[in-house]
Amino acid sequence: MEHTKKKTAFDRRKFLKGAAAAGAAVLGTTVAGRFIGGTGEVSACIRPPGALMEEEFLSACIRCGRCGDACPNQCIQPFTEETSAIHAMKPGRGQRNTPVIFPRQQACMLCGAVDSEYLLCTDACPTGALQKTKKEVEAIQDQVKMGLAVVDKQLCYSFNGASCGICVRACPFEGKALRAGMWEKPLVDPEYCVGCGLCERACVRYPQAIHVTPRGVFGEV
Amino acid sequence: MKFEIHKLQVLRRATQIGVLLLMLSVPAISRYGNYVAAYDIDGRLEDWKGTLAGTALTVIDGTFRKLPGGEVERVGEMVRSREGVLRYAQGIYGGPWSFEIAGVSMSDPLGAFESILARKHVAYVVAISLIIPIVLTLLFGRVFCSWICPMGLLLELTDKIRSILRFLEIRPRNVKFLRGTKYALLAVGLLLTTITAVPILGYAYPPAIINREGHDLIFNAFDRAETGLSGLSIAGLTWMSLILLAIVVFEVLVSRRWWCRYVCPGGGLYSIIGVARPIRVALVESKCTHCSDCVVACPLGLNPKNDQMGIECDNCGACISSCHDDALKYALPQWQACRKRK
Repeated sequence: MEHTKKKTAFDRRKFLKGAAAAGAAVLGTTVAGRFIGGTGEVSACIRPPGALMEEEFLSACIRCGRCGDACPNQCIQPFTEETSAIHAMKPGRGQRNTPVIFPRQQACMLCGAVDSEYLLCTDACPTGALQKTKKEVEAIQDQVKMGLAVVDKQLCYSFNGASCGICVRACPFEGKALRAGMWEKPLVDPEYCVGCGLCERACVRYPQAIHVTPRGVFGEV
Repeated sequence: MKFEIHKLQVLRRATQIGVLLLMLSVPAISRYGNYVAAYDIDGRLEDWKGTLAGTALTVIDGTFRKLPGGEVERVGEMVRSREGVLRYAQGIYGGPWSFEIAGVSMSDPLGAFESILARKHVAYVVAISLIIPIVLTLLFGRVFCSWICPMGLLLELTDKIRSILRFLEIRPRNVKFLRGTKYALLAVGLLLTTITAVPILGYAYPPAIINREGHDLIFNAFDRAETGLSGLSIAGLTWMSLILLAIVVFEVLVSRRWWCRYVCPGGGLYSIIGVARPIRVALVESKCTHCSDCVVACPLGLNPKNDQMGIECDNCGACISSCHDDALKYALPQWQACRKRK
C-alpha cells in the first residue's frame, strides 16, 4: 500500500516536472520562432522573378536557399541584417532569410548568360513561392514583375544636359521597357518593365539616378 | 551476417559525413557555376591557387570535367565545355532542409507541411518534393534522423564528449524530459504557422539552420577570396549558430540527446509518418541474456529488450551493433516473434 502511494507521488511529481518542461519548450520555441523570423514592419524589397505577392510569398517560402544556389549571377541573397544593412534595409516580420535582390549590388540578368529552359531560380524553388517561368520574352513579360524602374530627373545626367544612356543599353527589353528619348533621356514604360534592376546596376551616377521601386510600394501589379 | 550488421554503423557514419560534405560543397558548386557563367573561371583558378576557395574550385572543376560531356575537343586539345560543366553545376541545389539533385526534388516534410499550411494551398512542386522523403519514412521510419540529419551527427559528438567527461570522473547530469514535448511542439508550431501564415518552425529547426549557416559560411569564404582574404571566417555565420551551440552545451552538461529525444518537431513528424514502418528492430528472445548493453547504446534512450521500439525508434541500428549475442536484428513484422508482454 505504502509502496503504491509512493509511486503515485513520484508519478505526479514527474508529470508536473514534465509538463512544466514541455510548456516551457513549447512557449520558448514558438516565441523564439516568431522572434527569429524578424520583427517590425514588413519592408518592401525586390523578390526574385516569378515571386508570389509578398504576403503569400512569405507563407509559401521555406527559406531553403535553393534559388540562391541556382542563380547564375549571385544576385539572390538571403534577407538578413548582415546582407541588407548596407542598403539601409532590415528584414521585417517573417522576412529573415527570404530571398531578396539588391539591384545596386547585383541585378537579375533573367538568366541571360546561361543556357536554360526556365529561369533557374523559379525552376529550383521547391514550394512554388517562385512560380516556374519559361525563359521566353512573352512568359517573362507575363509572369515577372519584380518592381518598376523610376528615373530621378534631378540626378540623371541625360535630364541635366549631358547625354548618357547607359541604363538604356543595359535594359534587356531595350526599346520597349526603357527607351532612349531625346539626348538619351531614359523613358520607362511600366507595361514592359519587369524590374530586373540592370539599369540601376549600370547607372554611373551615385546615388543612382534610376532605381527599381519594389512592387509593394506602387501597389498591385 | 554479424559482420554485415556491424558494418552498418560504419556505413551510417560515412553517409552522415558524406551528407555534411555534400551540403558544404553545394554553395561552392554554385559559385563555380557563377564563375563559369561569367567566363571568369580560369582567372579564379589561377589567382586563388593554393587557397581554400581555389582548391574547392579546382576539385569541382576537375570532377565536372571528368564527367561525360564536361570537355570538348578544340584544336586537338581537350578543353572545358562551358555548357557541359554548367549543366552539372545547375544539377544540385540546397541542403538537408530541401535538396535537388539531377532534377529530383526533396523537401523536409516539416518544411513542406509548413509551406502548405501557411499558404493554405498545395502547390504541385511541394507535393512532388514530398514523395521521396515520405516513402522512405513510411518504409524505414525516422531514418532521416540517424542517416542524414547533420545535427544528428553533431549531437552524436556530444555523446562522445559525455563519455570523455565520464572517463575524467566528471559526471554529466542526465535529466529526463517528456517525449511528448516534440509532438506538442509540432502541433503548436503547425497551428501557429497556420494562424500567422509564416512558416515559423523552420527558423528554429536545426537541419534548416545548418543548411543556411553552411551556405553562409561557404559563400562568405568565396566573398573573402574575392577581396583577397583566404580561409573560413566566423563572420560568415549568423547568431543563429548560437542556437545550435546552446543545444550542444545543454546536451553535454544536462541531458543526453535532449533535442532528438524530447524536443525536435521534425523528428516528431518523421516519427508520426513512420509509425507503421515494416522494417523494425526485433528481439530474438531465446538469444537475449538481458545484459542491457543495447539500452545503454540506444541514442534515443529506448529499451530494445522491452519492445518499446514503437514510434520513436530511428532504426539507426546502434542496439544491433552493441549486442554480443546476436539477439537483435532488423525484421519485417511477420518474421518477428509475437511478444506481447506487460
